[in-house]
Amino acid sequence: MDGIHDMGGMQGFGPVRPVEEDYKFSADWQRRVFGLTQALAGVTPFNVDEFRREIERIPPADYLNTHYFEKWLIALEWFLQDRGLVSADELAASAKLFDADMAGREPVDGAALIAILGEGVELEFPRETAVPAFAEGAAVRVKPRHDAGHNRSPRYLRGRTGNIVADVGVFQFPDTVAENLGANPQHLYTVSFAAADLWGADAESAGDEVLADLMESYLEPA
Amino acid sequence: MSDDHSHEHDPLEKGTALRVRALEEILVAKGLVTSEALDTVISHYENNVGPRNGASVVARAWVDADFKARLLADGPDTLASLGFKGFQGEHMRVIENTPDVHNMVVCTLCSCYPWPLLGLPPAWFKSMAYRARAVSEPRAVLADFGVTLPADTSVRVWDSTAEVRYLVMPMRPAGTDALTEAELAALVTRDGMIGTALV
Repeated sequence: MDGIHDMGGMQGFGPVRPVEEDYKFSADWQRRVFGLTQALAGVTPFNVDEFRREIERIPPADYLNTHYFEKWLIALEWFLQDRGLVSADELAASAKLFDADMAGREPVDGAALIAILGEGVELEFPRETAVPAFAEGAAVRVKPRHDAGHNRSPRYLRGRTGNIVADVGVFQFPDTVAENLGANPQHLYTVSFAAADLWGADAESAGDEVLADLMESYLEPA
Repeated sequence: MSDDHSHEHDPLEKGTALRVRALEEILVAKGLVTSEALDTVISHYENNVGPRNGASVVARAWVDADFKARLLADGPDTLASLGFKGFQGEHMRVIENTPDVHNMVVCTLCSCYPWPLLGLPPAWFKSMAYRARAVSEPRAVLADFGVTLPADTSVRVWDSTAEVRYLVMPMRPAGTDALTEAELAALVTRDGMIGTALV
């Protein structure tokens, strides 16, 4: 969706502050949100694209004024309600009001959780799963789009032309994964864009490049 | 944290903190998570997994040309053979800085970052200013970090839009021929591996 999260190329945010913002957590509740998110992934797997979609749905004014880990909390609360594990009444009451259905769910301890996270999740398929539509070196254009769903095709690249520098392999498709509509495996390409093609005469240096990894469905021949 | 939710909440705990605490208590009471698992995973990513992992890979590539060639050609398998893989690092690629090309990494859409090699991202990497500006004015962003590149060095900004996670291999500093691999690793900084610092 064309949400506020899609920030590449926006102006007005001021300087980057690497010194004062060089921390991972600035309050203990942020640690707990991070921990809760990881721990829940152990007991009841959810997909990251679904999580991202919920964050992208936060209204723009709220998104800008909501702490990074509060956005995680918002997505987490949605997820728990969507799966019937926690109710809105429980969140409002700050108390457990019913037992969750634990059939098929195995709570994990810390060591098991670290092992699960160390393995990662399956995102990729064998290369031969799909025939690539584009060859390395091909010129491609990022398709225009304006759908409300989750996607990983940034606004600043849509309509722009670049060159495929690598066929990374076959990956699951975030747009359908986020809606639990299947993996829809397809080739993922690293596409190079000349700074001058993105920013025109305002590019800092015409020869600079931006490289992005784009799913085949996001691209058309140029 | 206690799983007894009958106690009084700390009156100094406000807003979001209170909401998080309540959620943890509900989930613990339901048996969906344990506070021990939370403590363990938080500590793991705060203390065990961090830029020293990435630095060890860079230093090894600096001293071992065969390893470097394999690392650049096949990041996922080469890194996995060293035990570096996992969540937010299922497919990691290492990109090499040269005198002609400087690389830096951003995630304009969220905060994608190679957890197994660098741990969790610092707040500035997730900041709106960095996400917005890194692709359109990388040299100005580098200036915010005190970095000025030669005019004839081109910049490549890698936007982590999919599930590939990038690590920048900085150039090996001059005058380090006599250093051991471990001494070299100590020179490699986190920001150097994001591409917002030189080493």
